[in-house]
Amino acid sequence: MRNRLKGVSLVTVTLLLLLTACSGGGNSGAAQNSGGENSNTAAAADDGTGIKPVAFSFYGNYDWLTTAPWGENEATRWIQANRKVTVEPIQSGGASAEKLNTMIVSGDLPDVIFTDRGSTVERLVQAGRLVALDDYYEKYPNFKKYVKESTLNLLRSEDGKIYQIPNWYTSGQFGNGGWMVNKDIYNALGRPALETFDDLYQYLLQVRDKYPDVVPLEVGEKGAGLDIMYGGFRENATSKFISLMGYPEGDKLLPIYDDPSYEEMMLYINKLFRERLITQDALQQTQDAVKEKVNTGRVAVMVESNITTYGAEGHRALTANNPDSGYEIIWPVHKAGLDKNKVFVSGFETLGWNVNVITTRAEDPEAIFAYFDWITGPEGQKVLFFGPKGLYWDEEDADGAPVPNEKYKTTPANERTETMRKFEDFNWAGNTTFIDTAKMSLEASLSANQKSWETVAQSTVTWKTALDITEFVNTDPVPETETGIIAQNIQDIHTLAFAQMVQAKSDEEVLSALETARKNANKAGLDKLLAFKTEKWQENVQKINATK
Amino acid sequence: MKAAVKPGVWKKLTNQLDLQSMVWPGIIFVAIFSYIPMYGVVMAFQQYDIFNGILESPWVGFMHFRMFFEAPEFWNVMRNTIVISLLKLVITFPAPILLALMLNEVGSMGFKRLVQTVSYLPYFLSWVIVSGFVFSLLSVDNGTVNFVLERLNLTHEPVNFLAVPEYFWSILVSVNVWKEIGFGSIVYLAAIAGVDPAMYEAASIDGASRFKQIFTITLPSISPVIIIFMILAIGNLLSAGFEDILLLATNPILRPYSDVIDTYVYRVGILNARFSYATAVGLFKAVISVILLVTANKIARRADVSLW
Repeated sequence: MRNRLKGVSLVTVTLLLLLTACSGGGNSGAAQNSGGENSNTAAAADDGTGIKPVAFSFYGNYDWLTTAPWGENEATRWIQANRKVTVEPIQSGGASAEKLNTMIVSGDLPDVIFTDRGSTVERLVQAGRLVALDDYYEKYPNFKKYVKESTLNLLRSEDGKIYQIPNWYTSGQFGNGGWMVNKDIYNALGRPALETFDDLYQYLLQVRDKYPDVVPLEVGEKGAGLDIMYGGFRENATSKFISLMGYPEGDKLLPIYDDPSYEEMMLYINKLFRERLITQDALQQTQDAVKEKVNTGRVAVMVESNITTYGAEGHRALTANNPDSGYEIIWPVHKAGLDKNKVFVSGFETLGWNVNVITTRAEDPEAIFAYFDWITGPEGQKVLFFGPKGLYWDEEDADGAPVPNEKYKTTPANERTETMRKFEDFNWAGNTTFIDTAKMSLEASLSANQKSWETVAQSTVTWKTALDITEFVNTDPVPETETGIIAQNIQDIHTLAFAQMVQAKSDEEVLSALETARKNANKAGLDKLLAFKTEKWQENVQKINATK
Repeated sequence: MKAAVKPGVWKKLTNQLDLQSMVWPGIIFVAIFSYIPMYGVVMAFQQYDIFNGILESPWVGFMHFRMFFEAPEFWNVMRNTIVISLLKLVITFPAPILLALMLNEVGSMGFKRLVQTVSYLPYFLSWVIVSGFVFSLLSVDNGTVNFVLERLNLTHEPVNFLAVPEYFWSILVSVNVWKEIGFGSIVYLAAIAGVDPAMYEAASIDGASRFKQIFTITLPSISPVIIIFMILAIGNLLSAGFEDILLLATNPILRPYSDVIDTYVYRVGILNARFSYATAVGLFKAVISVILLVTANKIARRADVSLW
């Protein structure tokens, strides 16, 4: 009996699949077939996504991520009611790697995994636990429309198939790293030029002498902002080269320890640290400690890979008491003599932040893909970024961007941002280009004091100072392979050496720590690692050029 | 002969069923959660692949053990593990005994209770919270300790306590003492409470001072408890701590002093999904611990106290 039921349901599922396959194929056909059904959900028919009711489980593979229950905010409630999609979140409980491994071992994988590109995905692919999505990419309209061909090629696994759905992929420049200054202090000190590293040094000295309770240069949680100064010492470079452990020269990666710019940067950082111009807690401080300093205005200059978030929050806190106070984004500080338009702080990958993969456990992978295709389309992006129609917007402008309504303008910025941030947690196929265009036109319609700090910082500086580093994606070896073990050893050597160079007592100490790191890294097999990465990098370059 | 014994044993067993019912849940618990999973140690001799499981993963012999012994960090990790453990043994272990002895001499019941409660509370705080305290106490920007030192003109510029490798061991051990002392002292206080008061009376009639009473009556009376805990502590010599070190030693410059077996396994093995390697290192640690435990127990037997 049971088996028979199973058989029947299988047949039904197959039939359904066939039906959707037919309806998705031709646009006109789809409209005719499902016209009656879709008459009350006109937008879906407009999108032509063939989205259909589905329920699936979703696991976010990050320690810090807790996915809120489905249907708890306006956006997900709207999706549940109007698009009949229900998601059951599975939590990592702060131990994502363990959780995922447990699910793999017990054979109880979720339907969708939301994770970083790289070894996690490739391991699942090699074990045959993921659904290849090539046919669906062909069939559904939105990814095809918004994701560049070269980006899709980079998402291909070794067997040539695509298993990943990109999130926050982009076709334009995008980045959140940069430098900002405390307006009060900057104005009080007469707004001196802050362009070169020498300017910065002089300014920090002044701050240290006149404001003893203020941190002259804040560098973020565990010194995250230190690395990104690298872009200021070398044209067309970002700190990605440091994490690669090599800088590109021609079509090869050479050891970062042999890079004169790296040496120069470490000497400069050390000088600032030694003279107490950088927070002395740099390498061990928590994010809370950093935020506390920023939000109380006890930071004069800050450099960080996510400056827009720190800046927006700090700016809100400071302007609450005094509207003229706050933080101001500045063009990245750089070495004298470099072309300031070739100075980059952030790196962005057209592939975006991370990916979703659909596992073979999913009963109806196509329906899940259809939903993700809907997310990344105009309607999905609007609902999951600005909220459903009727909340903060009622109509759209000619480009399809929502026009802010009264409620958007009258709700306090903090409250609005918080609500929208909750929607964004569910935007798993973020379409950067669409959102940014819409966000900009929405902001443009606001008066100066209604504009968000983030948007201004992004449009004037942080996006322009982001370098496309897509060609360096997926260059990390799998951890348990020989190259992976080398990479781990070198990572350990580097982490220690970096800390020693930052905290060194003299220039000689910096150079000797650098020399020790160079020696140890070479002994550990840095040349092998770089050869591996060079090969991967060149493969990417070919994939990108092939479709240009 | 055998046939004659068997029914006797069986009968004994069934007759004690009511008493045994109190032990069985514990035995079953240990069997399920400690003994059954032990088959997993075979992973140490395999190149374990989570998709294939233990049955299908290839065997590699002692490869992972060799890799650990040949790892550049090996000697450093071993040194730190042993030094931190010994420091904890020498300082953290006797501290609660000392506190218990002192509390026992306190006449005022109210004060004794207060001290007990206050010193006991930190035990319930998780290491995450404690490390938060330590950071806000010892940091340079806004750190309480630095603030006080500067106000008292003891230092002219703030000390970066958590970024100097040489300070790490002292900070770690002090925080451990602060956190664990109250809990540890309760056990010893209970043991002291069990000492026959008649002995103290007799001693004071003989003219023994309070101090002498401690050494001739209290300490010898509670020595079995001390020795048992000592044996257990020695068995744990290779477990220098994990959470406390992981959370307090966030600055990588401390690594030459803070990297112990458990943090190394976590960073290199678990985080990189090198399960076989992590298991091999864990197994190595377990074997050494068993040897230490047995040896300590053997030595303790000479004093007529032992675990078994």
